[in-house]
Amino acid sequence: MISIDRISKSFPSPLARLKRFFGRSVKPAVVALRDVSFDVSDGEIFGLIGRNGAGKTTLTKIIATLVQPTSGQVRVNGFDSVIDDRKVRAQVGLATAEERSFYWRLTVEQNLMFFARLHGLRDARARRRIIELVEQFELKELVSRRFGELSTGNKQRMAFARAMLSNPPVLLLDEPTRSLDPLAATRMRALISSLATGSPPVTILLTSHNLAEVEELCGRIAIISRGQIRALGKPKDLRSEHHQTEEVCMLVGGITLDLARLALTQISDDLDIAQERATLTISFTRESGDDRLDAVIKKVHECGGSVLSVDVKRATLMDVLERYELDQSAEGES
Amino acid sequence: MLTTAMLFLGRLRAFVVRDFQLAISYRLEFFLRILTILFVVTTFFFISKIFAGGSTPFSQWRDPLAAWITGLAVLNYFMTGFSSLANAIRSEQMQGTLESVLLSPISVSNVVVASSAWDFVLVTFHSSLYLFFGWLFFDVQFRGNFALAFLFLILTTLVLASLGILSASFAMVFKRGDPFGVLLGTGAALFSGVFFPTELLGSGFSSISRLLPPTYGLDGIRRVLIEGQGFSQVQEPLYTLLIFLAVLLPLSLWVFGRAVRRAKREGSLIQY
Repeated sequence: MISIDRISKSFPSPLARLKRFFGRSVKPAVVALRDVSFDVSDGEIFGLIGRNGAGKTTLTKIIATLVQPTSGQVRVNGFDSVIDDRKVRAQVGLATAEERSFYWRLTVEQNLMFFARLHGLRDARARRRIIELVEQFELKELVSRRFGELSTGNKQRMAFARAMLSNPPVLLLDEPTRSLDPLAATRMRALISSLATGSPPVTILLTSHNLAEVEELCGRIAIISRGQIRALGKPKDLRSEHHQTEEVCMLVGGITLDLARLALTQISDDLDIAQERATLTISFTRESGDDRLDAVIKKVHECGGSVLSVDVKRATLMDVLERYELDQSAEGES
Repeated sequence: MLTTAMLFLGRLRAFVVRDFQLAISYRLEFFLRILTILFVVTTFFFISKIFAGGSTPFSQWRDPLAAWITGLAVLNYFMTGFSSLANAIRSEQMQGTLESVLLSPISVSNVVVASSAWDFVLVTFHSSLYLFFGWLFFDVQFRGNFALAFLFLILTTLVLASLGILSASFAMVFKRGDPFGVLLGTGAALFSGVFFPTELLGSGFSSISRLLPPTYGLDGIRRVLIEGQGFSQVQEPLYTLLIFLAVLLPLSLWVFGRAVRRAKREGSLIQY
């Protein structure tokens, strides 16, 4: 479990005290996080989304103990990230898309062996674990290749494999599928899902710009903007909370425009009906709980027509994110 | 306690193996370094011929080649002791690997010490080559208690490593422009008697020489290996080094702890 309690982080200007002593101007501190709080339960996949510079990486680094918060507390499986930092690191695996975090002149196996030893794995166990991981991440044929010779996608798989070397109960994943081809990305998503539901379940905090992926994988998400959590909840709830309407567009055949207008205006007078050759397009905006779609379909059938297709355009996480960013800009201006 | 020590040794081995693997991936450089040492020893052999037959009042310098190659071997070692800790941090920062190393359950101080372990293995090999080539090709004779000379070597290296920890602390906060490197790097070669007797410096400069730990280390090693002195005759440099160590080691560890905390607070641990 990850527990984040009122975390704030500001980065002071380097050597501010020394600069002030010599009477030089000091830039104000950069505020990266303000009063951020949320919990991630055991076995949950939690998504953190936001624009570049929103504070996602800083928060991830605080959880991984690489950066200390200015105030507040992060606990990972009960261990404090500042006081028990080594115990926290033993619980956490971090996979980033940063290619430079490996030794380019060492092979895949040598790299993984080095990090396995750092995690305290004895050689025999480390070798067994590496064999498991290279099979799982389809790197088996590449174990003797230097890291620098790998493709970007394979480098990313290596980062994921390294994060899982010590079977950590908590995984921090930063854009886990960014460089993968669509097939590999699908497999990776399946793997992430299976880790969360496995035994023992792995708690996953995922940051990504791929909102469809976040929506597919995460039980809950937090939208972070300018260092603050703006919204937190299930993707479906966030969508419906901020965009309560959806666009419905139906294609109907076997019925004339006049008949359709006559029959359907009995249901609602704000339906938009247009004809293109032998097909009618019926579109309208509905709110959640609105049963007009069922009524329209029923009426079309009663008139002897047939529904060729129904397309419902719901708000996406992108819409929700955009909405928050617009709100933020408006707040900033005012 | 034992488990912690075993874990540390396991991690130390991980760093040494990693650096060995990296070193052998640059084989040519490895062999060129050996060749360079042979050339340096040969050069000093011919320089020493200029002084052949002359007498000197400095007992350690009667065989100048022996004094020089001992000086070079030991200077090499001392400089590694001093600089490898800061270099280890800097090198990991520049490669971009420091973050991934620090994500393992290992303390920053252990990372710094373990990252520099290979440098000590390598410098032991290189320093031995100076003495070995001198003995093999140029008939340089070393006598005395090698264990005592080794004690001096270890002690001086520990004192310089304490200064190295201060240097690493500086690298962590200021990233570049380490003043300790300038002072000790050029200072040790000039003032510690690597290439000439410190007595030649005169009274003004010899006081600088007395402030530098390598002076005592080098003096002790030469007294043992070249003059064949025993423990009772080398107590003065030995105790001076122990005093340096008693003051510098706790001070440097304290400063390093503060530097790490500061870097973590500023989020600049991995920046260079």
